[in-house]
Amino acid sequence: MSKTYQAIVIGAGPAGSSAALTMARAGLDVALVERGSFPGEKNMFGGLLHRMPSLEKIFPDFWERAPLERHIVKKGVTFMTGDSSFSTTIEAGSFDKPPYNGYTVFRPRFDRWLAEEAVAAGATLITSSTVDEIVLKNGKITGVTILGRSGQISAPVLVAADGVLSFTAQKAGLRKPTFDPAQMAVGVKALIDMPREMIDERFGLVRDQGFANEFVGCTEGVRGGGCFYTNYDSLSLGLVFHLASLRTSGKTPYDLLNAFMEQPQVAKMISGGKLLEYSAHLIPEGGYDMIPELVGDGIIVAGDAAAFCNATGLNLEGINLASHSGVVAGEAVIAAHRAGDFSKQGLTAYKKLLEESFVIKDLKQARNAPHMLHNNRIYHEYPEMMCDFMENIYKIEGIPKKNVTRLFLKSAREKVGLGNLLADGFSAWRSL
Amino acid sequence: MNIDEIFDNTSFTIDREAHIVLNYEICTGCDNRGCVNSCPARCYTWSQEEQKMTFVHDGCLECGTCYVVCHKNAFTRWRYPRGGFGVAYRMT
Repeated sequence: MSKTYQAIVIGAGPAGSSAALTMARAGLDVALVERGSFPGEKNMFGGLLHRMPSLEKIFPDFWERAPLERHIVKKGVTFMTGDSSFSTTIEAGSFDKPPYNGYTVFRPRFDRWLAEEAVAAGATLITSSTVDEIVLKNGKITGVTILGRSGQISAPVLVAADGVLSFTAQKAGLRKPTFDPAQMAVGVKALIDMPREMIDERFGLVRDQGFANEFVGCTEGVRGGGCFYTNYDSLSLGLVFHLASLRTSGKTPYDLLNAFMEQPQVAKMISGGKLLEYSAHLIPEGGYDMIPELVGDGIIVAGDAAAFCNATGLNLEGINLASHSGVVAGEAVIAAHRAGDFSKQGLTAYKKLLEESFVIKDLKQARNAPHMLHNNRIYHEYPEMMCDFMENIYKIEGIPKKNVTRLFLKSAREKVGLGNLLADGFSAWRSL
Repeated sequence: MNIDEIFDNTSFTIDREAHIVLNYEICTGCDNRGCVNSCPARCYTWSQEEQKMTFVHDGCLECGTCYVVCHKNAFTRWRYPRGGFGVAYRMT
């Protein structure tokens, strides 16, 4: 295999396929290289597909066209202990009207669809091909070598959309040779088969409505959290752990996932279901400070490869950032072709456009959040405090009641410590 | 549900050639071995009696956790499997 293209996109995930789609629609001869036997085969997430501004612009009928599951009308947060839980849920009328705020999706279906749209626009999809080395000639990027289908393909410019570990960005000298475990998290997920009617009835849903929930306190003190999503006829249940914390905890992701599934309230949510699939993936959670060099001579970095992931609040965003960065990368390559300049300078429009967009602006705004989330008390003591406080509020035992402030202070003193509460409150306020 | 059931439910096309290769001597001298508990696929096993690390790439989910948690850089090779091999998610 040896062929010359006008651009090579490495990785057919949301970033790569969006880039290839953008370039192909502008008439560029672009190769989209994917290591899976089909796009999406290696991909998983524990999240929702939120509004996709750049893809909605390309496809005005995006929401009818894309293979989606349920639209989320109900979003909850649960603070959890070994046997208790305190939840808040918002079910908003606007979440049940188009344009919907978020959907559940299956990545092997969604990613495959998006890559097929790129192919329909004229991109060449090359599957079962792991990119190995960057080929240089006189110091300039001229292509890549491929493992699997041994060979080499050529192009004057690459878009590295090869995911969170991006060996392409590393080989181009754009990302550091090692990662900081404090900036990375691993997500593990169980997909659980359940009949559609059972899901509707159990979670109070009608039509294509869906429910999504986040959990804190379900990781036995390891920094991280849980998530739950309803698909049409299956449930996704997952846990995410900060690697710096997991590494020293001695606990294993699968034992923690098992314990989570057996927590009495979670067990009721999934009971009667059958396990279909188990998956794991890394999440670049370092935010703004983790972003590598985005542009080099003959190369642009997009999506997870560029750490475009906003996973520090109650909304977990990644695909929307990836797809937008892919489209912008595609536009920058189109401009570079017009100017005949693939140098770092010639591709710099990418960086500028991203800095003006929600991608960099949101990450910049949440810059300090990753540090705040390294407070271990969030993952054990605070959920304990919340559950204890609520439990005491609702307890009626035929003895005189304490007032609410006293009850709160009692729970806070016993579970967190008042000094810690003050200090944490102050640092949370400062970082917001 | 239990842990063994978890591993029975994911599909793989196993490559005979391992995509991750370790220098076990480094593992023996490691003070942390966070890979053993952190790997979501149970690929790493440490034997205390034999003072020996065992790694099996068959059930690797290609997540990269070991690549990040190993602070000794014990890998003589760490890359993704050749095209067409490795884990294959169907839905997830």
